[in-house]
Amino acid sequence: MSLLQGSAQQQSDVQIRQQLGETAAALHTMQCDFTQTKQLSMLNTKITSGGRMYYQQPGKLRWEYTQPYAYTFILNGNKVLLKNNNRNDVIDVNQNKLFREIAQVMLSSVVGNCLSDDRNFKTSISATQKEWVATLLPLRKNMRQLFQKIILHFNWQQKMVSQVELVEKNGDKTIIDLKHIQKNEKINDRLFAVP
Amino acid sequence: MTVCLLSLSMLLAALPLRTQSQIRFPSAEGEQVQYEAYIQLKKGYLSGICVLQREGEEVKGCLFNEFGITALDFSYSLERRNVKLHHVVRMMDRWYIRRVLRKDLAKLMEVLRQGGDSYENTRHHITYRLTPIEGDEER
Repeated sequence: MSLLQGSAQQQSDVQIRQQLGETAAALHTMQCDFTQTKQLSMLNTKITSGGRMYYQQPGKLRWEYTQPYAYTFILNGNKVLLKNNNRNDVIDVNQNKLFREIAQVMLSSVVGNCLSDDRNFKTSISATQKEWVATLLPLRKNMRQLFQKIILHFNWQQKMVSQVELVEKNGDKTIIDLKHIQKNEKINDRLFAVP
Repeated sequence: MTVCLLSLSMLLAALPLRTQSQIRFPSAEGEQVQYEAYIQLKKGYLSGICVLQREGEEVKGCLFNEFGITALDFSYSLERRNVKLHHVVRMMDRWYIRRVLRKDLAKLMEVLRQGGDSYENTRHHITYRLTPIEGDEER
């Protein structure tokens, strides 16, 4: 089954975007577990890591790896805190263009509102029986140097992102699966604290 | 070069100087070892994951940041003891960066083979450190 055929295609595309946009706008908080699978084309192998993600509107994101290494990325407004076993570092995203763009991609991907980001991505949407799939082609130079494309898979019923695929120029791919998603539940502000 | 590398703070990998006995190095055919990588630069650092895998007379390596973005693909010849870079992320892909990386990675591989875990390029003030990730054998 495809919603995107013939004259219905544009209408369906618009409808999908509208529904995802409404869901993203109504999303005040989100938290979930994630599994990240890195496919290394040169070694023909996969590396898996995982952790927990927290999002709070507007612009707060905590991305915490717990397995097999400990690493935490916290975006809070214009500040980013990077924590690993060795050190903590705070970075002003306004002073680092690349950082700002990567942080923005992560944030808008998990929330799903990058579909309306026409300045940074050329987007196409397709539908299957089980999910909506958005393919984003980066338009900006910095992003094009990193990613060939970004593919977002949306759960049809929840209208939420369930999987993010980051496809790189060298053929490597990173797949992030979001699981046990909780929407609009209170999240402790301390989780987003950046000193 | 430092400026280019610093702009990649989210992109990479490795190091301070710490003594650790017998760091694992892939010696058997097909063996794979994963490391937390840390690279200390004069004005910053890069961190990420490094995977080394033995294939014939080579050890192939990939270096990527915690989010999965690949910075480097390389191979190290066990016989010639040199490094060939197969892929360098576009924003680091400069001849002078490649030259330093080729030499430094070859030195680092030599250090790992001898049971060490870090290499310091004193001329450019870059230190590379690899720490094996516990329990990566099952992954």
